[in-house]
Amino acid sequence: MTTPTSSPASTPRLGELERAVMEQLWDRAAEHPEGESVREVLEGLPAGRDLAYTTVMTVLDRLTKKQLVTRARDGRAWRYRPAGTRESLTAETMRASLEDASDRHAALLHFLDGASPDELAELRAALAEVERRRG
Amino acid sequence: MYALALALIAVVLAAVAPRIMARLKVFRRSPRAALVAWQAVSLAAVLSALAVAPAAIPFLTRTHTIACASEECPSAVAAWRTQWWAVLVVAAVVTFAVLLPLLVSGHRIGTRLRAARTRHTELVDVLGDPREEDGTQLRVLAHATPTAYCLPGRRSRVVLTEGALTALPTGELSAVLAHERAHLRGRHDLLLEYFTVLHHSVPGPVRSPEALREVRLLIEALADRAASRASGPVETARALLTLAHGQTPVAGLGAGGQGATAARMRLLADRPLPAPVVALMYLYAAAVVALPLTLLWLAWR
Ligand SMILES: [Zn+2]
Repeated sequence: MTTPTSSPASTPRLGELERAVMEQLWDRAAEHPEGESVREVLEGLPAGRDLAYTTVMTVLDRLTKKQLVTRARDGRAWRYRPAGTRESLTAETMRASLEDASDRHAALLHFLDGASPDELAELRAALAEVERRRG
Repeated sequence: MYALALALIAVVLAAVAPRIMARLKVFRRSPRAALVAWQAVSLAAVLSALAVAPAAIPFLTRTHTIACASEECPSAVAAWRTQWWAVLVVAAVVTFAVLLPLLVSGHRIGTRLRAARTRHTELVDVLGDPREEDGTQLRVLAHATPTAYCLPGRRSRVVLTEGALTALPTGELSAVLAHERAHLRGRHDLLLEYFTVLHHSVPGPVRSPEALREVRLLIEALADRAASRASGPVETARALLTLAHGQTPVAGLGAGGQGATAARMRLLADRPLPAPVVALMYLYAAAVVALPLTLLWLAWR
């Protein structure tokens, strides 16, 4: 993950692969409640990808570091599982973004900095004013 | 004595000027010029405080020489020496009392922001569906609550939810995307970070939360200008209402906006300030920055 110019092809490709691997882990979580090995992940990915075992291992390693998957030892190999369901991680992301909107140290730039229900009437009046003067 | 004048100016610029400027709501009609004025005032406050010690040095060395030119040299020099050191220590303390909190708060806030952004980008990259709308690369989250935001930085992202794409008609969506693109293109995150760091580096009683709030509003108003250029003020205002409406059932999180959204909508109805007023605002900004620099130059002349 250095500058985009240093590795023009590999960084976006790795990002795309990480997504594909996560998708597969989520989709097959019911079939593999104990997690998937690197080999299983590799064999599950679309054949046309022509991926090396080490590439998949790298991707799973990166996802582990990002705490998006967890791993457990199974004999000499590791088994990988998503750190949360797609829904729970989406909920976590949404919660973080909505809380951030009302934070004084905002890390994200929102279109709307949150609005309370009692503010809605005021917003409707303001919209009417914009429509009247600029419509 | 210039050092004293600089210290006084620093206090006025840090504590008094922001409170007055936050009240000048008319500034909001030219958010870019207003933000330049805000940056000028804060920069001048920091420069004034940092210049206190450097401005004290020539004054002290000069008095020292004058004292020595007279007849009763030995005892006078000894007396001056003590004062010399006392004043220099006070001036240095003033300078470092400004510099140190600035560096500490800059480091603390910067680290925290970057950690939050990195974590969020990692989540959005595996959860968000990459899509293109209106010439903008998006990450779409599978969630019904409508929301739109961007992750600033080198690897910037514009994030929308399925709920936002469903709720926003084409014109409103273009307004939202233009707003987010303006944030990213203008590196508004750096501007916001700069003011947040300054805000937290000044002592509590001097701090003015209304100033930070005003700057945040101006940054939003600036991005709204871009949205307004892309799809008109009415569509932009409608997009604000659409998202506010869609978020209220979940936004029991407390209104971070504090009336800012209504203020932004009213600004969309206003025309920009006339050119001469804007020119005056830039002139004010230039004069404010020139003040501490001129005093420092006079002290060393
Ligand atoms: Zn914004």
